[in-house]
Amino acid sequence: MPKRRPLESPTTSDPEEAPVRADALAPTMDLAGEIYQQLVRGEIPRMRLPLRTKQNISFQSRDGVFRLGRAMGTRSARKLDGALMLLRTFYLVDFINEMAHDRKTSTLRELYYISEGWQDAKFHSEDESNLLVEDLEVMCERLREDFRLHPEENGASVIGDLTIKERNRKGIVKKINCRDDVGDGGYSIPFNVEKEKIEFVSTGAKFVIAIECGGMVDRLAENGFDERQKAILLHLKGQPARSTRRFLRRIHEELHLPVVVFTDGDPWSFRIFASVAFGAIKTAHISQYLATPSAEFLGVTASDIENYDLPSDKLSDQDVRALQAELTDPRFATADWRSEIELMLKNGRKAEQQSLAKYGLNYVTDRYLPEKLSEMGVL
Amino acid sequence: MTTPTIAQQLASKQREISVAEFFERNRQILGFDNPQRALLTTVKEAVDNSLDATEEAGLLPEIEVEIAKDGPDRLKVAVTDNGPGILRREIPNVFARLLYGSRFHAHRQARGQQGIGISAAVLYAGLTAARPAKITSKIAEEEGAHLLELAIDIQKNAPRIVTEDVALWDRPHGTRIELILKARYIRGRQSPLEYLRGTAIVNPHARISLTEPDGTRITFERATDILPPLPRETLPHPYGLELGELGSLVRGSRRPSLIELLTKDLGGVSPRVAREVLAAAQLTPSAAPSSLDGPAQERLLSALQSATLLAPSSDCLSPIGPLLIKRGLRNVLGEVRPEFFAPPVSRPAKVRGGFPFLVEVGLVYGGGLPVDQAVQVLRFANRVPLLFQQGACAITNAIASMDWRRYGLDQKGGSGLPTGPALILVHVASTKIPFTSEAKEAIAEDPDIDREVTLALQGAARHLKAHLSRKSRRAFASEKFAIIQRILPKLAEKTSGLVGRPVPDLTPVITRIMDVVTVEPTLGTEKTGTTATLEVTNYTPRPRALELFVEGPPEELRTAQFEPAPEGSDADLGRYWWTLPKLTPSGRTRLSVRFPAGVEVDANDLDLYVAGIDEGHLLGADALPGDWEVRLPRAIVEAAEAAEAAGGTKESEEEVDYDAEETSARVADDE
Repeated sequence: MPKRRPLESPTTSDPEEAPVRADALAPTMDLAGEIYQQLVRGEIPRMRLPLRTKQNISFQSRDGVFRLGRAMGTRSARKLDGALMLLRTFYLVDFINEMAHDRKTSTLRELYYISEGWQDAKFHSEDESNLLVEDLEVMCERLREDFRLHPEENGASVIGDLTIKERNRKGIVKKINCRDDVGDGGYSIPFNVEKEKIEFVSTGAKFVIAIECGGMVDRLAENGFDERQKAILLHLKGQPARSTRRFLRRIHEELHLPVVVFTDGDPWSFRIFASVAFGAIKTAHISQYLATPSAEFLGVTASDIENYDLPSDKLSDQDVRALQAELTDPRFATADWRSEIELMLKNGRKAEQQSLAKYGLNYVTDRYLPEKLSEMGVL
Repeated sequence: MTTPTIAQQLASKQREISVAEFFERNRQILGFDNPQRALLTTVKEAVDNSLDATEEAGLLPEIEVEIAKDGPDRLKVAVTDNGPGILRREIPNVFARLLYGSRFHAHRQARGQQGIGISAAVLYAGLTAARPAKITSKIAEEEGAHLLELAIDIQKNAPRIVTEDVALWDRPHGTRIELILKARYIRGRQSPLEYLRGTAIVNPHARISLTEPDGTRITFERATDILPPLPRETLPHPYGLELGELGSLVRGSRRPSLIELLTKDLGGVSPRVAREVLAAAQLTPSAAPSSLDGPAQERLLSALQSATLLAPSSDCLSPIGPLLIKRGLRNVLGEVRPEFFAPPVSRPAKVRGGFPFLVEVGLVYGGGLPVDQAVQVLRFANRVPLLFQQGACAITNAIASMDWRRYGLDQKGGSGLPTGPALILVHVASTKIPFTSEAKEAIAEDPDIDREVTLALQGAARHLKAHLSRKSRRAFASEKFAIIQRILPKLAEKTSGLVGRPVPDLTPVITRIMDVVTVEPTLGTEKTGTTATLEVTNYTPRPRALELFVEGPPEELRTAQFEPAPEGSDADLGRYWWTLPKLTPSGRTRLSVRFPAGVEVDANDLDLYVAGIDEGHLLGADALPGDWEVRLPRAIVEAAEAAEAAGGTKESEEEVDYDAEETSARVADDE
């Protein structure tokens, strides 16, 4: 596997033009050149790609993220499926370069429909087109945003004293403070959060608190937690989108703010934390851009359920299986996590974030969070 | 006055039961247990009689079946044939007396044997509709037709003539029976239509039409004008003889000596064997047959049955034959368009219990036949379709106990009826078929019949397997062709366009992807005849010197013209061969075999072999078998040796296929 280059994002100097990363599309042309040379040499066209199977993904304790392993597969024109995927790759490359020329972007779903005109190379499902885009990301070491492709859903919202500069769709750069310049819904994270689009200007905050549920974000905002404790509230909206994770990583990297994750106390929420901190299997090839390995889990933990005597529900069979799977997941291979997971299995109980309301609406901001945050050394 | 003893009282109630009375009470035995069954049985008995009569007279059967409504639960059934007609004096007994017939005592294959069927239908009509049977019969052009209305006197089992007349009939000869009976018309399984369809398959020389109650008319045209040879009557064979039968033979014999009785009244006993048998039984060859007492008869029978005798002659049987099975199936199954007709198997005659029998199997695959259901089984006994009791039949059991998975059909656990788009036809012909019941619905279990059916099925199944493997190789080839014809040119165009360079020559890539020599036969039929064109293409990356061999039916191939002329041939074996011009990568050559009009061939009839290249690099032909003993030109031998020396020319593909099923089942996001 070739050595990965750091992601560089030089922007064009002309402010009138929408940003085009000069080298973003070069690797796609290299791919075309490689296949062309194979054809000239009379070889069966083929490409080598790292396998994105569960077996070939491992936790890199050195960077603390999920990464692709060394196992490679071959996509060859010897077989019909391989030949079709190769052909699709270059329809896609052609399409991307055309979009760059026309200064357009497209959703993944639009791409799927665009392929209607590709005859034999047409995609049979959106899964197929999404997977090919991921393949191209892996091969070119670029993000799909570089290919001007993005998902439909946006990232979630941010509330707090964070000033950014965003270049909007008209090419105008706007300075926005995520507390003072936004409504109650907060600042909405766009699908592209790379440097040509967003720059961080300044912040008065001391840490970021990433929160699973919208209700809890609203509670903290209403209680003035962000101002009182100098926090940036970031809404994860369940399992966070790529852009949310990338945004979080950039805040952490560029503003050097600690990140804590506050979710429900159940196995699925543990996985939300793991994907924020260490990356997800599906995006293992870009974990280094998305994961924030120093993020820490605040709660709700199994011990919190005991210590704060929180209203709880019984674990379902699925919950139990998920917890057991986590015991062998390298992302949870620390003594702390192990004892928390085992405690939850032992008690057989889970609890929601909002169960803290048992003690009143101010309890979470006045008692629970200050206690936990000082325990963690953030406050 | 003395009171009668109990025995006397009982005796006064005892009286003979007539056959007719017996069957009146036991309708189910003859297949009249319900209205739809009764209709089918009536049609079947009448049609079987018509077929037997026309064939015996050497006429191509022309049979019309008309079914019409006659009241709420009654139907009028009329069956008309072009047979020889029936003499006036025989008509009442043939149609209105049970157990009257000419075939019961003959050792010969026939559809009807017991002389029950049609009279039973007349009996049933009388019982359910109280209407006589109307018979019309004409025996010669110049005569009038006899019209008789007949009923059966149930107590006496004797015909009763209700009316009689003589009339004109606009056909040279023939017989018509018209019955009104309680019956119900259905379509689908176990229906008159199904029965006639089956009959048409195994009697391709017959033209059969059916008019349904709603007026729909269905005709099965004949697929051949050749009548099957009339089965000959044969002498009883000792292997099947029972002691009682030998007894009546001995008592009734007019032969002067035992030796003559054995050699002239029994089948399969030569004079030499007869002397050995008599010696073994301690009997004098010149002794009068009537002098034999019980123990002597027993000794004679056991000596006969332990002697090595000639097998019963099989010319008393009437096999359909492979050609006509295929034509019959093709004729009747035309609308399903099966993709494959296995060459039918017609086994040589064998003997069970002194009676000769033979088994024939036809197998059809694909087309419109349902994929996810059990295969269709068409069972026939002496050319008569068996529609009932499938599960109890020896034929079904033989099919179910074979492991069809070995031959490419699905079968749960390797037994039971296989699943798949196939139809299996099994015909058992014998002078005596062991039916499970008088209604002649299923063949009874018998080890000899089972063995023969199994052997015939295996023969047909092997052809099916060969077809399926050819098909999967064709699928492999069509995948490759899709790559080189549809995908690769576009891939080259796209990448060339992106790098702004001219499209390169794709020949080397194409031959690397294919890496086979293909032999593709195409068959074209015109008025002047059928031409098989064989196209050989070298889709390998190196030049090839090859020898092509064609093997097929010798008779047909003798009539063929070859272009170019073959280098060599063995016409008796139907083998012809050519040294092909040297083929460069992507090179192609053609040769043709022209059959004159009237010669029937299809693509499956020609087996193609190639020498000079190994099996793994051949598509559409097999490597030349080692036993052909053909001297190959030196260039071919050298090419073959060179190819062998080169060994695994296929590029090793050790790396994981990225797009294969297992690897592309990439993890769903688990979060």
